[in-house]
Amino acid sequence: MLEIKLAFKNLLGAGLRTWLNVIVLSIAFVIILFYNGMLDGWNEQARRDTCEWEIGSGEIRHPLFDPYDPYCYQDAHKAIDADLQKLINAGEITPILVTQASIYPQGRMQNIVLKGISPDQKLLKLPSDKLNGGDGDIKAIIGHRMANASNLKIGDRLMVRWRDVQGAFDAKEIVIADIFRSNVPAIDAAQIWVSIDVLQEICVMPNEATYFVVNDEYLKTHREALAPNGWKFASKELLLKDLNDVIKSKKASSGIMYGLLLAIALLAIFDTQVLSIFRRQKEIGTYIALGMTRFKVVRIFTFEGTAHSILAILLGSIYGTPVLSYFVRAGIPMPSSVDQTGLAISASIYPVFSLGLIVSSILLVVISAMIVSYIPTRKITKLNPTDAIKGKIL
Amino acid sequence: MENEIIVKLENLVKRFPVGKSHFTALRNISLEFKKGEFAGLVGPSGSGKTTLLNIIGSLDTPSEGIATVIGKRINDLSHKAAAHLRNYNIGFIFQTYNLLPVYNVFDNVEFALLLQKMTATERKKAVMEALEWVGLTDKAKSKPALLSGGECQRVAIARAMVKRPALVLADEPSANLDSVNSNHIVQTMKQLNRELNTTFIFSTHDEKVMRYLDRVIQLVDGEVASDELIKHED
Ligand SMILES: Nc1ncnc2c1ncn2[C@@H]1O[C@H](COP(=O)(O)OP(=O)(O)OP(=O)(O)O)[C@@H](O)[C@H]1O
Ligand SMILES: [Mg+2]
Repeated sequence: MLEIKLAFKNLLGAGLRTWLNVIVLSIAFVIILFYNGMLDGWNEQARRDTCEWEIGSGEIRHPLFDPYDPYCYQDAHKAIDADLQKLINAGEITPILVTQASIYPQGRMQNIVLKGISPDQKLLKLPSDKLNGGDGDIKAIIGHRMANASNLKIGDRLMVRWRDVQGAFDAKEIVIADIFRSNVPAIDAAQIWVSIDVLQEICVMPNEATYFVVNDEYLKTHREALAPNGWKFASKELLLKDLNDVIKSKKASSGIMYGLLLAIALLAIFDTQVLSIFRRQKEIGTYIALGMTRFKVVRIFTFEGTAHSILAILLGSIYGTPVLSYFVRAGIPMPSSVDQTGLAISASIYPVFSLGLIVSSILLVVISAMIVSYIPTRKITKLNPTDAIKGKIL
Repeated sequence: MENEIIVKLENLVKRFPVGKSHFTALRNISLEFKKGEFAGLVGPSGSGKTTLLNIIGSLDTPSEGIATVIGKRINDLSHKAAAHLRNYNIGFIFQTYNLLPVYNVFDNVEFALLLQKMTATERKKAVMEALEWVGLTDKAKSKPALLSGGECQRVAIARAMVKRPALVLADEPSANLDSVNSNHIVQTMKQLNRELNTTFIFSTHDEKVMRYLDRVIQLVDGEVASDELIKHED
């Protein structure tokens, strides 16, 4: 109690100097919140979009399948057995067949990936129902990135060339039935989706699949053995690892930025502490003469320095709350260049300020201020009270 | 008990390290102070007055000899025990007042009580009473910067007295004051000495202070040169 009262009296008594420290520290505090909230918001949005559009609750994969290696597609497929078929019928998994193909927009060849998905699936957000019907045409859906890159519109027809199971080239015309908007480049860029039945037929891979997307129901019913015989299981966390790694490295690099700001603020507090202990020796001596232990004097000064951080948090919340809550509502617009990272990102990110983030940011600011406030006070314990009372130089 | 001894110094020696050797500031001091005394240490500058008061006040320790203050041996008190002794039993008054600038008069006086277990109401009552002793009730809300030197020293007296200590140590309390103010504060202390039976030990050069003393101890070069009781005809 005594410490708190004294600390605030002394701090407010110090005027401008205190407020400069407090302002810099409060900016650091708000920026820490802003960046972390933005990255958490991105992470949350990207995880949600990736699950909804691409990976569901995990994937059952052909053992040879590696989405980053198009040359493996040739061999990474096999027949769907009766057990898997039951799961498909129950809606717990949905099969996807993948093959390499080429298209010829404006006469130039472009390699793409042709993916077959069931038009009836409900597991992913892909508008696969648009693949139904077609009076003999092969209907296809593509994402807006693919549409932009290859200059395609709904209703456009284009030639697709692929190799069948024997490796023989074949070609057919397809028609763009829909262009979907998704934040997930992994199901969009250089990809064309067709009905799995059509793909199985034209590649001569009857009833075959490359991988299956599963839902939560599947995870519950197959908790003991997630990988069916002859297949591999890739969990959601494994599939989201790249995303997590990118978010982590972004957190680290933005940490350097606000860390620098925090360091400047902490240095200013440290400096203020050193100076005030130097100038206030007489006061320290008086405290001791009045019956305070040195330990208590150390506590008073440490608390006084730490109180900068409390004022900074109060000040930061005064101007930070309207600013940050504006971004929560309006989102933070992202430059389109971020899209090239291949990670799911929307046009604007809605930052998320969780209680955990707020509490840990407050703790970071308060504890680091406490440490820099404490270090100079160790001088007090070496102080001779009789010299201090006279105000002699340390 | 009128004759209770509250400060007992036996063959006290204080040496300060100076370069490779040391300087002896107090030599073989043996003195006793009884409850209710109004005593002064006088002597030229550098004779060891402040050094002796600091040891009695447990802010410093003797190099040799024994100092017993209110039943406690200063020689072997821990930091904590010394702080406790000062907090409950010893009031200090300094030449330069040493008030806390960010606090007003009331808070400065109350400060001495904050380290003790008292309720806010008890503290307020004690502080107002102490301000009455020194005649500053109307300045309770003022900051020290707005007070005259004499008023500041009266605040310091109130701060030293508010906890009703057994012993008050005053190191040249009037050195920064004019003669009117010097007389005033010594009279105030003399009155408190009588009313509350508090022991006062001064160090002073000031003739006006000396006139009020019941006992004058002359220090020269760290030794007691004379120790006289003064009879006042009043
Ligand atoms: N910490 C110290 N280190 C070395 N010498 C010291 C120290 N403190 C005091 N002295 C010396 O001890 C002697 C006594 O000092 P002290 O302050 O007790 O004198 P004083 O009688 O109070 O003088 P004044 O009337 O000027 O206040 C002086 O010569 C002083 O220089
Ligand atoms: Mg002195």
